[in-house]
Amino acid sequence: MIEALLKHTNYLGAIALFIIGLYTVLTHNNVLKKVIGINIMETSVFLFFVSIGMIQFGRAPIIKLNETDIIYVNPLPSALILTGIVVAVSITAYSISLIIQLYREFGTLDLDKMLENKEEQE
Amino acid sequence: MNDLIVKLISRLLIPFIQLYGIYIILHGHLSFGGGFSGGALVGSSLMLYAIIFGLKESEKKLPHSVSQFIESFGVLAYIIIGFIGMILVGSFLSNKSAGFSLGEFGTLFSAGMIPLLTLAIGIKVASTMITLLQRLLKEDSHD
Amino acid sequence: MKQFPVLIVLLPLFSALIIPLLPKKKRFLFGFVSVMFGLLFILSILSYLNVINDGSFRYVFGNYLAMVGIEFLIDPLIALLVLFVSGLSFLIIIYSFSDIQHELKEHQYAYYYCLIMLLMFSMLGMLYTNDIFNTYVFMEILSIVSTAIISIKHKRSNFLASFRYLMLSSIGSLTILMGLAFLYMVTGQLNMDSMSLVISNVWTLYPTNLVLAIGFILIGLAIKSAMFPLHIWLPDAHSSAPSPSSAFLSSLVVKIYIVVLIKVIYRIFGIEIIASLRIDDFILIMASLGMIFGSIFAIGQKDIKRLLAYSSVAQIGYIFLGIGLLTPLGLAAGLFHIFSHALMKSALFLSAGSIIFSTNKRKLIDLDGIGFKMPITMITFSIAALGMIGIPGISGFMSKIYLGLALIADKHPIFLSLILLSSFLNAIYYMPILISSFLKEDVLVKNTLQKDPLPLTMIIPMVIITLSVLLIGLYPQIIMDVIELALPYYF
Repeated sequence: MIEALLKHTNYLGAIALFIIGLYTVLTHNNVLKKVIGINIMETSVFLFFVSIGMIQFGRAPIIKLNETDIIYVNPLPSALILTGIVVAVSITAYSISLIIQLYREFGTLDLDKMLENKEEQE
Repeated sequence: MNDLIVKLISRLLIPFIQLYGIYIILHGHLSFGGGFSGGALVGSSLMLYAIIFGLKESEKKLPHSVSQFIESFGVLAYIIIGFIGMILVGSFLSNKSAGFSLGEFGTLFSAGMIPLLTLAIGIKVASTMITLLQRLLKEDSHD
Repeated sequence: MKQFPVLIVLLPLFSALIIPLLPKKKRFLFGFVSVMFGLLFILSILSYLNVINDGSFRYVFGNYLAMVGIEFLIDPLIALLVLFVSGLSFLIIIYSFSDIQHELKEHQYAYYYCLIMLLMFSMLGMLYTNDIFNTYVFMEILSIVSTAIISIKHKRSNFLASFRYLMLSSIGSLTILMGLAFLYMVTGQLNMDSMSLVISNVWTLYPTNLVLAIGFILIGLAIKSAMFPLHIWLPDAHSSAPSPSSAFLSSLVVKIYIVVLIKVIYRIFGIEIIASLRIDDFILIMASLGMIFGSIFAIGQKDIKRLLAYSSVAQIGYIFLGIGLLTPLGLAAGLFHIFSHALMKSALFLSAGSIIFSTNKRKLIDLDGIGFKMPITMITFSIAALGMIGIPGISGFMSKIYLGLALIADKHPIFLSLILLSSFLNAIYYMPILISSFLKEDVLVKNTLQKDPLPLTMIIPMVIITLSVLLIGLYPQIIMDVIELALPYYF
């Protein structure tokens, strides 16, 4: 069991990061920290996805015509994760712009305080 | 920001960052990277300029209306390239069968329409990056 | 014509790109948007007729192998859903022309319709695609856009609701991506058909991976489609958005995620594996809890749009109940309720939106005698609300009948009593609105029958939606036939 886990430290790392990120999102009241938590979760999923495609001693999959029997790593997970990174960038950008608006409306970054005076005061 | 050293260094750096970004976009079909990575590099050079010289200077170089136009143009170019394949052989984004020359393997002018698509993506990403930053800075300077 | 799916998906994207470049004239913008939606509707009618006549087909992008490239699978159900989505959204769009002038500022119109177009693009793409990662990408676009059409109204409650929605739905999408990673570990494929082929061969070898994968994907989609304990973002988000957006979000967006869940459960995993991993019990329990508690929460609401939002939680429970049965009858009932709930809930949100539009009141106690001031609006509201309760002749009744038959056939009579209980609870919170609007009198004004103080562009869509609710209630075979035609693709 432990040996199997040590062989796959990438799983451990990914799961640990995922849980740290989830914990940060769910428990912190600061909205900025929530976004950072989302980013940590994203990193964990990307790490996990890319490490699936990894082959030991594999090379980057750029084909050279005159060399044969080279082991290439699986390029598909990396390509997928590139898309994932694009999505992550846009989520982060959008949530930060929302945070700017929230800060301007409420004058605080604390979600609990925002929920307290949710009603419009005009 | 009003720091001479930062301004001088960035003035030196920005052309090289942009050159590297363009290199990565153009070699997207041959090596790592491609539209997004190269576009992000070009965009970050524009963002660096906007941060150091301020929003006004950056809007003088690249007005918001222009960057908005470029942004739409990037995706439109992608769609149009896809439509070429659709009209010629009946499948969206067809490459070889639509008559795009595949060229010689491993050279710059190869892989049919893929370099064109990468270029379109690169334009889109770079302009999106700078539009996002300009938007955020503008929102900030309102009050 | 095999090109219809691509044209249907690309048309909204194309118009979303064009709209920011258009001259900033109101008339011009509205004209462009309605022409584009009309074109989309016509294209989807043609595509639907094509599929019904010639049978389902696959569309492969760029002439690659289906295993390598992205593939669209168009079966009768998907074609009907696309037709339904484009038709209903066309009506909502016509309604929105008047409504957003009340709720948004003039310079925001272009952005609003740009977002709506992107919403259409991602919804239609998600319906068509047969590639799981492609689904994920469309899902991300959809979740960002649907939060953005909430926050476009510059009010603090909107920003707050959309921030909470964004956080929860990003957790959901990351969970789905994690599940996809586990799935990719087992299969090494992204095409749904080749995935299901691999899974049916090797699932006894990697049960842990598959349990993790379906668990992650189910939780992620449950957050996004507001399955009961994970619905907390929904009431705020759906009630604070502009009324056309509420109708979009509540009647269409949530349903698209459910269709994705149906694809994952029935097409990728297959019912044997789901049943032996006992996922269906989980879905059934959560669905029935949602049916009861969504209604109980709705009873306590004072705001009309919040009440409708909580009612959505209960109605989504019905759909999940049908899906969780894992029988053809159950799936057909769940799918039928997707259509009938979308029609009824959009009628409810649009009529609630017109009440807010003309009287600026959204508290339930202010609705006394509103049925005489706005008869057409309130008749629309009443028909849809009675349908939610399950009065015969309205589409909600038929979906309850189908669901009940499926439950009896599958020997789950306990859930039948839960459906009855939930219907009674529905009556408890819908009937007081109807009673106070038609039988009570406003303190200030006497009850005299008036004409609705609404522009025609708001009345006509509501009336059409109500008529189609009645039509489907009386002739459910219109939709049921197509669903039965499509069922073999899911078993």
